[in-house]
Amino acid sequence: MPSLIWFNEDSLNPEHQMVKDYADAPKVYVFDAPYLQAQNIAKHRIQFIYEALLEIPSIQIYKGETVAVLLQLIKDLAISEVVTTETPNHMIKGWQNELQKSIDLVTYPEIFPVTDHSSPRRFSRYWRKHERSWLTV
Amino acid sequence: MMQQLRTDLELADREAIATYLQSEFPFVEDSGELSPHVGGRTAGLVRLQSFRLEKYGKQRNFLDGEVSQLSPYVSRGCLELEELRQWALKQSRSKSVEAFVSELAWRAFFHLVYEEEGDRILKDMEKPKVPMNQHQRSLPEDIAAGTTGIPSMDTLIHMLKETGYLHNHARMYLASYVVHFRKVSWRAGADWMYSLLIDGDFASNHLSWQWVASTFSTKPYIFNRENLERYAGSLLPGDPKQGDPFNYSYEELAERLFEGAYMPEPSGRSPGQYQ
Repeated sequence: MPSLIWFNEDSLNPEHQMVKDYADAPKVYVFDAPYLQAQNIAKHRIQFIYEALLEIPSIQIYKGETVAVLLQLIKDLAISEVVTTETPNHMIKGWQNELQKSIDLVTYPEIFPVTDHSSPRRFSRYWRKHERSWLTV
Repeated sequence: MMQQLRTDLELADREAIATYLQSEFPFVEDSGELSPHVGGRTAGLVRLQSFRLEKYGKQRNFLDGEVSQLSPYVSRGCLELEELRQWALKQSRSKSVEAFVSELAWRAFFHLVYEEEGDRILKDMEKPKVPMNQHQRSLPEDIAAGTTGIPSMDTLIHMLKETGYLHNHARMYLASYVVHFRKVSWRAGADWMYSLLIDGDFASNHLSWQWVASTFSTKPYIFNRENLERYAGSLLPGDPKQGDPFNYSYEELAERLFEGAYMPEPSGRSPGQYQ
């Protein structure tokens, strides 16, 4: 089953578990031009991301609209599932949801000790509740 | 429309990368400088190795103190939060380890809130604790350009624009200046800072601005001259004494800025960190 690894800007790690799990899958990143323009993203962030990407072996980097680029690649490469990472970023989530209409999406969650979504809205309370978990190996 | 970008550039030749990216993204404003923060996991690991965690607990609130500067690497996922937590817990246990892990937890806390709220975090999470309905909706040009005429604030703005990074305490000073001293909506300030930061993350950035503004906290965050000198004095140029907006006690500042809608605790020392 041909898979495609799609990196987003919140997970630019060449040693990420998904890279190990899908060692043969092509790896892509898309600089989303409309997003960069709408958010007025500065050049330091773009350069940082690009430098991080250059460390990912055989990465293919594209520029365009994320979903359109991915759908084209899925078609050209006869991809049947896209592998990526979870992020709370609402724009990236939007692209993931859009993509999921056409293809299976495998998402790797962010890892931290406490993923209690009924979290208190004050950090001091969150910390009092979960300090021990955070400070335990 | 899709276009593939080059991947054959040498990572070491950062000037060539900058030139290439400028040609591919001509709409991006060119500040002319290269950021000292080199992208990628390798650079992140090098930085981690040089981080003296044992000094972090005592020094982290000072602009020239020992901080990890790992935020760009964590936010962009080059280093994972959990591996940093495991790394910190392997060091001999100290207040510094706890302080560092709690900062990692802040990041996770913001992500949990963002995960649950989605783009609602771009609007007031709570009612502001001080009047804000008259705040300006767009960022004044002098703030964007770093020409406010207040040397300390202009220095911070230039650091942000030239490096894509600021110390956390410096971010808080700037946010407080923009929202409370200049009466600009936190959203305008947050969007502006998000666009400039390498580690721009709607969760940490926008929710921190809301924390400063008091729409995600119990009170507005303000600072005064004494606090600025104590934590940032060594890095910032002195401000003119005449008309100094910061040279007041916290009680006086609250009166001037909020017309009595909020009064600080009588002890009066502003915390260097979130509470």
